[in-house]
Amino acid sequence: MRQWDTRKRVRAERIAAGASFADGKLIDVDRLVDFFEAVLRPGDRVCLEGDNQKQADLLAGALADMDPTRIHDLHMVQSGVVLPEHLDLFDKGIAKRLDFSYSGPQSARIAQMLFGGKIELGAVHTYLELFARYFVDLTPQVALIAAVSADRHGNLYTGPNTEDTPTVVEATSFGSGLVVAQVGEIVDTLPRVDIPGDQIHFVVDAKKPFYVEPLFTRDPAAMTETQILTAMIAIKGLYAPYGVRRLNHGIGFNTAAIELLLPTYGEKLGLKGKICTHWALNPHPTLIPAIEAGWVEQIHCFGSEVGMEDYLAARSDIFFTGPDGSLRSNRAFSQTAGLYACDMFIGSTLQIDLSGHSSTVTADRVAGFGGAPNMGSDARGRRHPSAPWLQAGAEADPDAHAALRRGRKLVVQIGETFGEGNAPLFVEKLGALELAEKLNLPLAPIMVYADDTTHIVTEEGIANLLLCRDKNEREHAIRGIAGFTEVGRGRDKAMVERLRERKVIQRPEDLGIDPLDANRNILAARSIKDLMLASGGLYRPPNRFRNW
Amino acid sequence: MSNTQKSWYEAGARERVAALVDRDSFVEFVGPERREISPHLAVFDLPVQFDDGIVVGAAAIDGTNVLVAAQEGRFMGGAFGEVHGAKLTGLLQAAKAMKRDVVIAFDTGGVRLQEANAGELAIAEIIRAIVQARMAGVRVVGLIGGRAGCYGGGGLIAGCCSTLIVSEQGRISVSGPEVIETNKGVEEFDSRDRAFVWRTMGGKQRMLIGGADAFVDDDVLAFRNAAIVALARPAVLDAKTLAAEQRRLQRRIARFGEAADATDIWATLGIDDPDSVPDMPADRFIALAAEHRESADDAR
Repeated sequence: MRQWDTRKRVRAERIAAGASFADGKLIDVDRLVDFFEAVLRPGDRVCLEGDNQKQADLLAGALADMDPTRIHDLHMVQSGVVLPEHLDLFDKGIAKRLDFSYSGPQSARIAQMLFGGKIELGAVHTYLELFARYFVDLTPQVALIAAVSADRHGNLYTGPNTEDTPTVVEATSFGSGLVVAQVGEIVDTLPRVDIPGDQIHFVVDAKKPFYVEPLFTRDPAAMTETQILTAMIAIKGLYAPYGVRRLNHGIGFNTAAIELLLPTYGEKLGLKGKICTHWALNPHPTLIPAIEAGWVEQIHCFGSEVGMEDYLAARSDIFFTGPDGSLRSNRAFSQTAGLYACDMFIGSTLQIDLSGHSSTVTADRVAGFGGAPNMGSDARGRRHPSAPWLQAGAEADPDAHAALRRGRKLVVQIGETFGEGNAPLFVEKLGALELAEKLNLPLAPIMVYADDTTHIVTEEGIANLLLCRDKNEREHAIRGIAGFTEVGRGRDKAMVERLRERKVIQRPEDLGIDPLDANRNILAARSIKDLMLASGGLYRPPNRFRNW
Repeated sequence: MSNTQKSWYEAGARERVAALVDRDSFVEFVGPERREISPHLAVFDLPVQFDDGIVVGAAAIDGTNVLVAAQEGRFMGGAFGEVHGAKLTGLLQAAKAMKRDVVIAFDTGGVRLQEANAGELAIAEIIRAIVQARMAGVRVVGLIGGRAGCYGGGGLIAGCCSTLIVSEQGRISVSGPEVIETNKGVEEFDSRDRAFVWRTMGGKQRMLIGGADAFVDDDVLAFRNAAIVALARPAVLDAKTLAAEQRRLQRRIARFGEAADATDIWATLGIDDPDSVPDMPADRFIALAAEHRESADDAR
């Protein structure tokens, strides 16, 4: 007769094997490698917690120190490939297969290892997509997670950087897998319980906080006049006419410039209360001046941001906070919010092609996706109306019956025609396509597909792709704002002018914007210190961003 | 930053000159229309600038006729090249001949690597010209609060000035953070820890150990007002001054040579809560510095 509880039996065996290296649930930190070799088995599917912000760094280091003759061929299913140890696992032969989402800091090395066949790639996902697969066909057998503190029962406090933890634990623990947590300290009473202890099987005291990358801090001092101009164009040419109140911003300087222009330029345009009131957003320090000026009603966060903790706790009308006062973030819920409840996603990218596909992959760098493709896509399951969504839908298909017409999410790519290192933003052929050919992938890693992209903004103007009626119009709408790049110089001038008459292309002068007004004096903060002062001293910038 | 202030840190060289001198009093020497560009940068396929990254000329500050120079930190990091250096050398030689005080707005990473020999020679020539001008009774006032700070040969030149005015953002040193880290290791100096960099080389630290003479908020008007005060101070450079300076530097190294961090120095200076110094607003810091700093006044 078939046994119906083999998974639970295996977990019980793992717990029994690990018990000899632990006092109850508490693992001896000096024997962590031995512990891993005891509880893990070759070929296990393992989730090592880490995303673009928090990292289970102690557990990652110990995992990479295991003996590959004992533990090998692991299948890693994790949000972020960020720490060097994440790839050391593959170099040493401890791990073999990889399903992941984001690999920003390791983008060059992961590309090399993919070319060299060191990693057997499952797929590159968006965060929400990978989380979904944790509950379908990629349920972890072992999850290694990070928390701020634990009590003696294994209850966890994950603090402001809760992020992926509840999702990973839910899938693993209720899927009969083993959950091991690193914590910064063991305490008698937790500030709040983020994860109940009966879902946690072992805890190790790292005696220091897990690593967090301040990924969402953009220094206003580095903001250029071109970025400011692009931000002005976006506010006046997109946010205002569509009345975008619910939105997500990407991570780049262009959107940070928009945040810093709300209390100055946005105020001048009379837009307060009409745009940017509800957000799915990490706690960007550059949003502080807008929050302080009363622009923002509510923000739900994927994660936290280093130095913002006290500010968030002091603004609980705006942010989601626990009974202890500190932020509660949750990546899965916030990604869902970004997908279904936001009317706009706006972010920067590295390359856009002539049809409007965009990608951050270049031929020798695989940065992964993170959350952008999820938020930068039209939610086909959406059913609730909103003014911007309906307006965008009408522009895309004016002849359809209004009551039968889907709305459209505004999916906006923003950037300067020449980006970092003077690399052109617009290309004939995406690096992602070359990579797919080189690695024989069935899908090129496209960040935002052309059919999701509704607008592209550069310093030369806005291209409204919703208004394009065929492939040729689309191509010239893009060429028409591509500046002096090869793509831009390949434009048919007469056609671009015709598109401009139909407002498919809008130049700064068409919007009543004088490029000479785009100077740093209109930023609500011009330095990290200004942001700290705007927060009343509650924002404590990390040392790397200080110039005082 | 309040809206009534205009940031010195944010301003370019020409904006700084305009804010520093009396309205319409500035007459530029060897201006951009002369197109005296670097003869070396083209070899490296690098862009040139028609003023080679420094503005020099004559002007009045609060009615006093002076000569003025301002480096453009956004061009080649304000670094000294052949033309850039020659313009400053010439200005200082003119100052001696005309018996006019000089105000220099530094914003430099040091010598331009692409024209290093010419740049190093320029540093030596500028130092000689400053000393000769000062011996002739001319004041040379340095203003430091730009993005590039005042590094390399710029740091040496600043050390020869009669008065240095600095803001919190301004950094003064010879070797830069990255150079120290490269040579001595990240354990000795973590150049990415910007708070540490500023504690070590920034305006507040320089003010507290007597490496600068006046501290101002990051405001163009504050720099102008401090320059007016500096231009009214006695202009003396003699053997007695230099001997006093030497004694002061020896005392400084004896007192602080073992300190691992600037906060240790500040504690030694009798500051109760040294960790609070970096976040302290300018007015409170100026009051604190007046009470505790190593004075350089008698030595300069």
